[in-house]
Amino acid sequence: MGAFYCAVCRQTSFSGKGHIFGKSHQSRLRVVLLKFLEKVKEARRTIKKPQVEKFDGPQHENKFWCYCCGLEIERNVTDGNMTVLHGGLLEHMATPEHKKNTHKFWWENKADPKLRDKVIITEEEIERFKDEVTKVLDTCVEKEDEFIKQQADHIRAQEKQRQEVLQSLIEPEAEQELPNGNHGPGNSVDEAASSHFRPQDQQAGPSWVDPMVDVQWAGLGQALTFIGYQDSTNSGNVHTGAIPPWLQDDPLEGSSGAAAQPEIGPSLQDFLKQKEQEKLRKLPPNRVGANFDHSSHTDANWLPSFGRVWNSGRRWQSRHQFRQEEGQTNRHKRKREHGTDGSKKTKTE
Amino acid sequence: MSLFLPKLACKKDIDEVIKGVAEKVVVLRFGRDEDSVCLQLDEILSKTAHDLSNMASIYIVDVDKAPIYTRYFDISYIPSTVFFFNGQHMKVDYGSPDHTKFVGSFKTKQDFMDLIEVIYRGAMRGKMIVQSPIDPQNIPKYDLLYHGI
Repeated sequence: MGAFYCAVCRQTSFSGKGHIFGKSHQSRLRVVLLKFLEKVKEARRTIKKPQVEKFDGPQHENKFWCYCCGLEIERNVTDGNMTVLHGGLLEHMATPEHKKNTHKFWWENKADPKLRDKVIITEEEIERFKDEVTKVLDTCVEKEDEFIKQQADHIRAQEKQRQEVLQSLIEPEAEQELPNGNHGPGNSVDEAASSHFRPQDQQAGPSWVDPMVDVQWAGLGQALTFIGYQDSTNSGNVHTGAIPPWLQDDPLEGSSGAAAQPEIGPSLQDFLKQKEQEKLRKLPPNRVGANFDHSSHTDANWLPSFGRVWNSGRRWQSRHQFRQEEGQTNRHKRKREHGTDGSKKTKTE
Repeated sequence: MSLFLPKLACKKDIDEVIKGVAEKVVVLRFGRDEDSVCLQLDEILSKTAHDLSNMASIYIVDVDKAPIYTRYFDISYIPSTVFFFNGQHMKVDYGSPDHTKFVGSFKTKQDFMDLIEVIYRGAMRGKMIVQSPIDPQNIPKYDLLYHGI
């Protein structure tokens, strides 16, 4: 009986082949096979309808562990641009070495033979898969190309628009530049706006536009709207150092009389109460007396819930008992003048 | 003496304190101001009151002034100290026969402070009876007689 390492249980056992029939090994085997079969089932689903995705990168480069062969194998097949999901898995399952290893694994571990065939993929299946894959790949590639063309069109359209805007700006400046040289800065904007479209060369670099722009602004400065003379001799000006309007009293204030401006926010009392409540929220919720209702009214003969010395029952019973005893002693003292015995219990817990 | 500790003179005051003080331990010392052991206890209470002010509120009650409470808490020996938290009476197992109150004086200020801290922590965790941290040797001994016997 030599040392025998079981890869499924990840243990070394010295009992030889007996270990395989043990309960723990079989249960672990079942778990392992279940997980493995899940992966294979998913891959099988894609045999008839392979999924090809454009996305590449770390998402698609995960490997999986084949228990039969004891190897780590790429799950998907990718060539940089496109990925065939579960391609690697299916390819590996179709190889003859894998078939041999699967049989060996099943024989050695005494697993359920019905499941064995699920793990192997026959050659016909893989051929079918490959055909489907090529078809799907073609369609994908076509779709990609179309998408790229659309993007290109969009970009071209945007570029064209930009060019037009630029030219419409440059156009009136060019118009003005020539007449400016003749009769000096006296043109209005209307003339510039009604100029016809003159095709400029496509360079339209910013360095060429700037001197045009400077001339343009100088021309526009003369066309401002006039809104009248501001008379501030009574109230003062920013230049004379008067009080700014926002620091002056509101002229509407006097009309509301003695009432103060409506204060926003809670009053002081509410604010303090809120602060107290905030502190309370931080305390543990299962502390003693957390649900103590401070606002409940108690009458004059209220007594706290005191766990008495010799009592083994609930705490309020001690209060009840005390009241009874008080009632009895009072009755003995006063001969029946005592009415109620205070048996009503006010709940303050 | 207990010049710095607030005194409660009637049942109403005691009720208000027990119901009113929130989230702090309420310490009620039952006894007489002239009694020697009470004087010792009062000194410890007043000296530690400030340090424990966040955890506990300490009050002095004269047993002759509120007889109903004296009967209710079954106070036979003075001084007796009763603890409350949020209106609930807190029991403490000192190793003595009576868990509902502390009878006698504390040996050191630290004992009292430890006790208050244990009560506070227990109450915060929802415990209505806690284990006293004081060394049983320092707990005053007394005989407890059952009424009915």
